[in-house]
Amino acid sequence: MQTRTPSTVIVVGSGIVGAGTAYFLAKRGVAVQLLDAAAPAAEATGAADGAVSVASKRPGPMMQAALAGVALYRELAQAGLFADIFKTRSTFIIASSNEECTVLTSHADALAGAGVRVERLGAAMLRERFPALSSNAMMAVEVHDEGHAIGYQIVHRLLTASGTLVSRRTPVEGLVTAPDGRRIVAIATPQGNIHADAVVIAAGNGSGKLLGLEQILTPRKGQLLITERAPALNAAMAGSIMSGRYLLSKGSQPAGNGKPARGLGLVIDPLSTGQFLIGGTREDHGDRRTNDIDAVSHILADAVALVPELAGVRLLRSFAGVRTAVADSLPLIGRVPGLENAYVATGFEGDGICLGPITGKVMSELVCGESPCIDIAPFDPARFPRLGVAA
Amino acid sequence: MRDPDVLVIGGGPAGMSAALEAARSGLAVELVEQRESLGGAIYRQPVEGVPAIPQSAGARGRWEALSRAFSTAAIPVRFGSVFLGVDGHGYVLVEDRQKGLVECLSPRAVVLATGAVEHVHPRPGWQFAGVSTAGGLQVMMKETGTAPRGSVLLAGSGPLLIAVAAQMARLGNPPLAIVESGDPYRRIMPGLGMLGFPKLLAEALGYLRDIHLHRIPWLRGSRLFRIERQGDAFSAVVRTGDGNQSTFVCDRIGLHDGIRPNDYGLPPASSEAMADPVIVRAGDCREALGAIAAEADGRRAGRLVIKGVAASTAGDMEQIDRQRRAQALLSKLFAPLDDRSPLDELADDTLLCRCEGKTVSDLRNLCQRADSLTGREVKHNGRFAMGACQGRFCAANTAALMARFKPEAPAPAAADLTGRRWPVRPVSIGALVRAASQDNDTQ
Amino acid sequence: MTEDTFRLMGRTISFRAGESIAAALQAVGVLTYGPDALGNETRCFCGIGACQCCLVRVDGIVREACITLARPGMSVEPVERRHA
Repeated sequence: MQTRTPSTVIVVGSGIVGAGTAYFLAKRGVAVQLLDAAAPAAEATGAADGAVSVASKRPGPMMQAALAGVALYRELAQAGLFADIFKTRSTFIIASSNEECTVLTSHADALAGAGVRVERLGAAMLRERFPALSSNAMMAVEVHDEGHAIGYQIVHRLLTASGTLVSRRTPVEGLVTAPDGRRIVAIATPQGNIHADAVVIAAGNGSGKLLGLEQILTPRKGQLLITERAPALNAAMAGSIMSGRYLLSKGSQPAGNGKPARGLGLVIDPLSTGQFLIGGTREDHGDRRTNDIDAVSHILADAVALVPELAGVRLLRSFAGVRTAVADSLPLIGRVPGLENAYVATGFEGDGICLGPITGKVMSELVCGESPCIDIAPFDPARFPRLGVAA
Repeated sequence: MRDPDVLVIGGGPAGMSAALEAARSGLAVELVEQRESLGGAIYRQPVEGVPAIPQSAGARGRWEALSRAFSTAAIPVRFGSVFLGVDGHGYVLVEDRQKGLVECLSPRAVVLATGAVEHVHPRPGWQFAGVSTAGGLQVMMKETGTAPRGSVLLAGSGPLLIAVAAQMARLGNPPLAIVESGDPYRRIMPGLGMLGFPKLLAEALGYLRDIHLHRIPWLRGSRLFRIERQGDAFSAVVRTGDGNQSTFVCDRIGLHDGIRPNDYGLPPASSEAMADPVIVRAGDCREALGAIAAEADGRRAGRLVIKGVAASTAGDMEQIDRQRRAQALLSKLFAPLDDRSPLDELADDTLLCRCEGKTVSDLRNLCQRADSLTGREVKHNGRFAMGACQGRFCAANTAALMARFKPEAPAPAAADLTGRRWPVRPVSIGALVRAASQDNDTQ
Repeated sequence: MTEDTFRLMGRTISFRAGESIAAALQAVGVLTYGPDALGNETRCFCGIGACQCCLVRVDGIVREACITLARPGMSVEPVERRHA
């Protein structure tokens, strides 16, 4: 591990993790070179649902990380940095069947046990709190103190506030190691080699090739939808809605008709513009260019079942992001095994927006030889023994 | 009902002739039209009991022949239906607004013939009610057989302005003036070149004669650069060729700064015959060359659909090339006298993106940094092209202004802002949900 | 209400068969149909369904006034309900 603050650091990838890392390093006075194969927030960060939330988490390291993630958003909002781009709101997990009620009740207990402020709302109370909701909703759990942030806005703010410039259209072709193989001395790009004291890889699915992680990382696509502005309906939504079915079926549904297996969840987030963001799918492939009517119409059917007035709103855009999933569903955060000045932070799948800033902070601490502000032992890349720099 | 072999999107000259050509070979063809009648913007038909507005004999003859052939062919038309795009599984999505649902069709080929949109430079005040495109005024005249009421000012550039002015005059309400940034009288060479296009020239001279007869001022070399509200009317500030300013008080304003393909968000044309479905573009949405070229291009597209994307279309191409030469001459003829871009003198609070309320200074502030944002970053962080028109009226202007703010950066294109996703038009969620309920093969 | 009228914000509007909502409203001097969700004045601008400036709510559904046919008895309201 580094014993002192490096003076120059290369960060590969200007998604929310890379931008967060650059921001916290720049604040310490480190000269950061931020590189991206395309442009800031061009991949998963630019097509995320934006939940800054612990609502769907089960007790464990991811919940702990998410709690710290939410707390950092609140702190940065209070400090002014995120003041206008972090919307605080509750998440309402809605149960519409007896089965969902049972699962949701025990989920709420688990959240409460972990110190999360939750409130159970019966049907009548729910109607009062949430007039836009369908009478199909049997009960809800309100998870307080959560929020929503749009990934690309956070990235833009982090880069602008820290004065970090991004080398766009600069793909990294390889890592150049010292003769002893224990340090990275430069990274290779089409524009030539770039030298720095330390390197942070936050390149999402692009990290696989650089670090020999192809077997560990898989692309996971998520389709999302955005509506036109509907301020009146938006104002009648007390917070975001998550279908309780999401808790029942985080895994994939069976494949059929030649279509790949995929999971459908339902989240409806009222945005500060008066629009709604509605998601989404989890699909085991990586084509972010397409949306399909099958997924879109089913997501919207579920959305209208919970918020009937959405039927009178128009869909403005569909989009898709490809997130990076790790084989054991935990992200990779830490030093690259065998290399004393290379670090990796990727594999957040659908939690990147929530965990991006806190991970950026952790990376800056690691790079500067400090102990990280959250426990990252469960995310240590060394848990995969064969991980190392691609030959 | 069986899905058609060929689905044609758009019931203007390109779409109608593509459908005719494809149907001739025995393929099952259907046409999708957003309105309840055919003709597109160029041949928009009047409502019942209203005589068609006076137009050139050539245009009248072309429409009569085309619509007669189309009725004879008995090609089914899905009226009141809006094309939404082609989804990731190859379904062609059409919102049937009569039934209130989205249909998922699987034709072997799709001909996109969505026409053109007008280009309108941003000017302070262009967002007010009462200001429209000149083409918008024109289609309304064609539909209703009446000229817009009150005093009307036309401004911008191009032959469409004189056509609209002449048609208004013939309907009894000539415009107050035409503010034209070019001056065809001073462009000798392209003027002489027009002699090679006698029909176009005759049409233009017919319009000019009406303008002269009705003493409509044609202020060449002039720009309308600010619109202000003045009670219920507008005051429109014009800078004339001699550098003086004059103000017109008027009730309505029609703006027009050219046309361009209405290709926003459309899927790309197929490069190979094996595509499923094969996608072909036709008419102004491929290249904005006007009605004559559109009809020829429709035939070309129809033939591509029948014979595969490598079919020979030499005969139609000749006609299209000729129209391309005519359009090139016209744009030289109407080239602005003042070669400074109208984008350079925009006041900071000029609206650039009306849907999202974003201004010139919003874009300038976003671009004021050492590195250069991509079109997509400008869209995301400035909300340009993010609104309901999906960039049709701001993406090109935003991209052009970005290039002026950052001349050293790679020049962005309008498509970098708009992207290429369905729905290409906003669509009712209720209608999309009904796509789910009619679909039986999934849970 | 006769065969050839529709309602605009409580007002009865006559139209001719085949006429768009925008054309019928222009004929009676109505050039704006209430503010949209952002507070912009709605208005007929492009006339071809592209610009989304002329949105109205027709029997509860958002439509472009310039390409939507007027039909007997339909109710046309401002697109944003809170301003209704």
